[in-house]
Amino acid sequence: MRPKTLWYFGRETGYGLWRNGWMTLASVSTVAISLFVLAFFIVLSVNLNHIATTLESEVEIRVFIHQKIPRQTELNLLKQAKGWPIVRKISFFTKSQAAHQLQSEFPDQKALLQLINQSNPLFDGYDVYAHHPSQIGVIARRFRRLPIVQSVVYEGLVAKRINRVTEVVRAVGWGIEALLALATLSIISNTIRLAVFARRREIGVMKLVGATDWFIRWPFVLEGTVLGLVGAAAADVAVNYGYRWAIRAAVAAMPFWPVAPLHLVLQHTIGVTVIMGLVIGGIGSLVAVRRFLHV
Amino acid sequence: MIRLEQVDKRYPNGHLALSGVDLVIRRGEFVFIVGPSGSGKSSLVRLLYREELPTAGEVFVDQFHVTRMRRSQVPRLRRQLGVVFQDVKLLPQRTVWHNVAFAMEVVGASSRDIAKRVPQVLELVGLGRRRDSFPHQLSGGEQQRVGIARALVNNPVYLIADEPTGNLDPDTAQDIIQLFLEINRRGATVIMATHARDLVNQVKRRVLAIDHGRIVRDELKGAYHEA
Ligand SMILES: Nc1ncnc2c1ncn2[C@@H]1O[C@H](COP(=O)(O)OP(=O)(O)OP(=O)(O)O)[C@@H](O)[C@H]1O
Ligand SMILES: [Mg+2]
Repeated sequence: MRPKTLWYFGRETGYGLWRNGWMTLASVSTVAISLFVLAFFIVLSVNLNHIATTLESEVEIRVFIHQKIPRQTELNLLKQAKGWPIVRKISFFTKSQAAHQLQSEFPDQKALLQLINQSNPLFDGYDVYAHHPSQIGVIARRFRRLPIVQSVVYEGLVAKRINRVTEVVRAVGWGIEALLALATLSIISNTIRLAVFARRREIGVMKLVGATDWFIRWPFVLEGTVLGLVGAAAADVAVNYGYRWAIRAAVAAMPFWPVAPLHLVLQHTIGVTVIMGLVIGGIGSLVAVRRFLHV
Repeated sequence: MIRLEQVDKRYPNGHLALSGVDLVIRRGEFVFIVGPSGSGKSSLVRLLYREELPTAGEVFVDQFHVTRMRRSQVPRLRRQLGVVFQDVKLLPQRTVWHNVAFAMEVVGASSRDIAKRVPQVLELVGLGRRRDSFPHQLSGGEQQRVGIARALVNNPVYLIADEPTGNLDPDTAQDIIQLFLEINRRGATVIMATHARDLVNQVKRRVLAIDHGRIVRDELKGAYHEA
């Protein structure tokens, strides 16, 4: 597009928005509210994700060996597993080491310690660490298949459940957003329609002197996307301040709760709100102009 | 070349405004369309820039098959034409200057060209000093001249003027017709619907007379009334 034409479109857009002051304000607020609701669900799902990954990154896999397996066999497996590419780190512990660990963790549990000392019911085993949380399941399955392995324990289940909750939150969020988007679309479309209606004579004359449909559409589409973008910006500002406040409140109330950091949240919300604002604004104005172009 | 073949125009209310019109206008001609009020002059002219489509028959303007063309092609047709509308059609909230300039903006002219060309045409129609006025601050004749300036600003191949001198005093009308003749000498085809008997009789160009939607006379060096 030539600078001249750009200037023309910019001027027409500003003119249109200014002339419809109140409707402009009303539609920007609607867009902002609708996108804020969307952002709220994004914040929720980002946080659930964050909890899940935090948990996953801290877990190790504990592999327990059957009683009475010769030490040599255990050490052979240790050596072998060290060579598996998905294993980041593996260390061997004997059942008496396990007992010592228990003793130091729970020095007051007299009855328990007595039991352990009499006939140690614990197992030898390995602590295994993965490179990536998603590989934990694979490693666990691999160990489980070995005949000398008694059992494999890891905390991945919790993470998996949180992931499932996240999916539900996301689906609900998008469902609600779809409805809100329709409402927002119609508000924007009506705002633009007012602007188009006010200028229908002008549009008619423009067409008669040879303007293309797109030449006439652009200022209105721009108007719609500006509405959408300003709404998105307002929603993002609200998310920014709202989330800062939420972090402070969360830290005060639950110091150990893994809250997703602000930048991570904004990274997700800004992208989605801006795109949604643009799309809703653009489509809304296209719908509005369509009827007036048949001259 | 403009060509109409067996054109009928019936408006949605049932009124038959044109019937059986056959017509050829070559490049470079100067044609008056005359006839009593309500005879169908405007209806004929509106077919040329496709504000209306005929109910039957075909319309051709140069390479454009007006009655068959796609909607998206219509702007290309209209850019060949400069139209002076009988009801002028100025934008009330824009200045004289902008009313003329936007016809150039619409076709994507550069601001340098616009700044150069708009004062030229305003000067041609005698409105050089009214560039910052709004239409409601102008007399009917002045408004009409803004409409003429807008039609001329893109140097159209065809100038189609529907009663362009209706609100003008005889002297100003003279100036306008001289302007049209000059444009015609430079190669543009001029088609002008008018009631201005004196002008028609004076310049002795082709005259098409319409009555009740039919072409009743077509003379190469004609007069307003049959001799
Ligand atoms: N949009 C319309 N709907 C219905 N009838 C129309 C329409 N436009 C024009 N007519 C009718 O068609 C006939 C021709 O009208 P037209 O405007 O072509 O006449 P004209 O020759 O231009 O008249 P004038 O000299 O007064 O401008 C008239 O009887 C008019 O009432
Ligand atoms: Mg008429």
